[in-house]
Amino acid sequence: MAESSSSGLTFKLHPLVMVNISDHYSRVKSQMNPPIAAHNATATTTATNNNNNNGAEAVETASSSSSSSSASSPRVFGCVIGVQRGRTVEIFNSFELLYDPETHSLERGFLEKKQELYKKVFPHFYILGWYSTGSDAQESDMTIHKALMDINESPVYVLLNPVINPAQKDLPITIYESELHVIDGVPQLIFVSSSYTIETVEAERISVDHVAHLKPSDGGSAATQLAAHLTGIHSAIKMLNSRIRVLHHYLLAMQKGEIPCENSLLRQVSSLLRRLPAVESGKFQDDFLMEYNDTLLITYLAVLTNCSSTMNELVDKFNTAYDRHSRRGGGGRTAFF
Amino acid sequence: MDIEQKQEELIDHFVKQASSLTGSALSSVVADATSHPSLFAFSEILALPNLLQLEGTENAVYLDVLRLFAHGTWSDYKSNAGRLPQLVPDQALKLRQLTVLTLAETNKILPYDQLMQELDVANVRELEDFLINECMYAGIVRGKLDQLRKCFEVQFAAGRDPRPEQLGSMIQTLSNWLVTSDNLLISIQEKMSWADKMTELNKQHKKEIEDKVEDVKRAYSMKKFHPVSRPTVTSGGMRRSTPNLVE
Repeated sequence: MAESSSSGLTFKLHPLVMVNISDHYSRVKSQMNPPIAAHNATATTTATNNNNNNGAEAVETASSSSSSSSASSPRVFGCVIGVQRGRTVEIFNSFELLYDPETHSLERGFLEKKQELYKKVFPHFYILGWYSTGSDAQESDMTIHKALMDINESPVYVLLNPVINPAQKDLPITIYESELHVIDGVPQLIFVSSSYTIETVEAERISVDHVAHLKPSDGGSAATQLAAHLTGIHSAIKMLNSRIRVLHHYLLAMQKGEIPCENSLLRQVSSLLRRLPAVESGKFQDDFLMEYNDTLLITYLAVLTNCSSTMNELVDKFNTAYDRHSRRGGGGRTAFF
Repeated sequence: MDIEQKQEELIDHFVKQASSLTGSALSSVVADATSHPSLFAFSEILALPNLLQLEGTENAVYLDVLRLFAHGTWSDYKSNAGRLPQLVPDQALKLRQLTVLTLAETNKILPYDQLMQELDVANVRELEDFLINECMYAGIVRGKLDQLRKCFEVQFAAGRDPRPEQLGSMIQTLSNWLVTSDNLLISIQEKMSWADKMTELNKQHKKEIEDKVEDVKRAYSMKKFHPVSRPTVTSGGMRRSTPNLVE
């Protein structure tokens, strides 16, 4: 079920879709937990496992719109929309759908209503497929897939794996297409996974950047913030370094004559190098030193204030401690060392 | 960098044109190329064998003109004005623009006086108009005009055709840049480890103090004192001077 696709379509996925799916899943999961916990708490110890399960299911169908009977990992479903130009499928957006566990299908009327609404706002977007969460594509998903085939003759199935694997380096998203394969003499539709690339619009880049720079909200300690900031700068400079190295090698090869001289590139490089040195000028030094001195001054002031407030507290404590008895042979002053 | 893209098509066009002609027909191509408002790169055309054949013939002046536009400045033209054909106003304008680019190669801050001298411009107003309209709007230069200090700060200037010896200096600059950024990376690493070390020390120090406080507290509760359990560092002194608090 997880062979790689051979249809030749290239998929482009926008971060908005991934954030939408994970948001949907997190919402459903967090909405589920309190009701189940409350129900279990009120249930007496004599309640059997059966009773608990039924109660949990009843609560689930009441509170969340699409979840299976597993209490820990609900499956959410929805639709993905986007544009298909030739062989490139670009998935821009997604929205949620209701799932009917009995008929194993997505609610049709709701889908069509939503489709109409989205068509008004984004006239170019078509329904390209659907999404769900889970670790692997299942047999029942094929029924949903076939149901969508009348809207789009080859829908895509986007699967998000909500289990967080810290060792995993790439995104837990797989895109499946359906292909007609002959298995045991019977032609069947099976899911085949295909590769995809991430495509961003400027606005999405802002939010992704924001998420990437999330720091602990209470600041941790000053050192961790400093370390995080420095790490960011470090990696940025490392990337710059590697790119300059590539240019350097290229020019060296050109000088030795291994590569024919490409004038336009040389012109660009010379104009780039003309911008250096960027940090050496007198004005920069002046401004830099001024800012540096200002920062030092402020830090000094802050430390002084801190110090004086600590002193104040200490003196208060002394006064309270030695207030009870007046003048005891020098009182507390002898103790002050 | 976008200038290069704009120029690419023009360069291809002129190269194709020039490679099919020879002799005096090339003069018209040269004249076209040097007066075209968006073309600032001539080394590709210079590299064509047809043009190099002109060397030594009576049309060699056109080759010189092209070379002037590729590497020379307005003052070069003035000093050699006898040998070179008269430039049409378009070409003169272009040569002036290229002069600005050459000046921007060496300094980042160009004083107005130097610019006026090099470009043969009489007053500041004309100079600024020229810089703004012909250079900045054309996109070959980006910078700030500082009228109080009478200078032009260049932030970006498009590259001119590179001379062969410039390649060596470019490589040198790149390797210097590399060395500097490597050093910077190392010092950032050091700062990060310093910050970590200082947090460690701080935490240790805090822990020591808290341990001391705990010890004193425990010692206190063992002596049946009235609970004056305020943690102060001078608890030794307290014990000495408040013995009468025993109930």
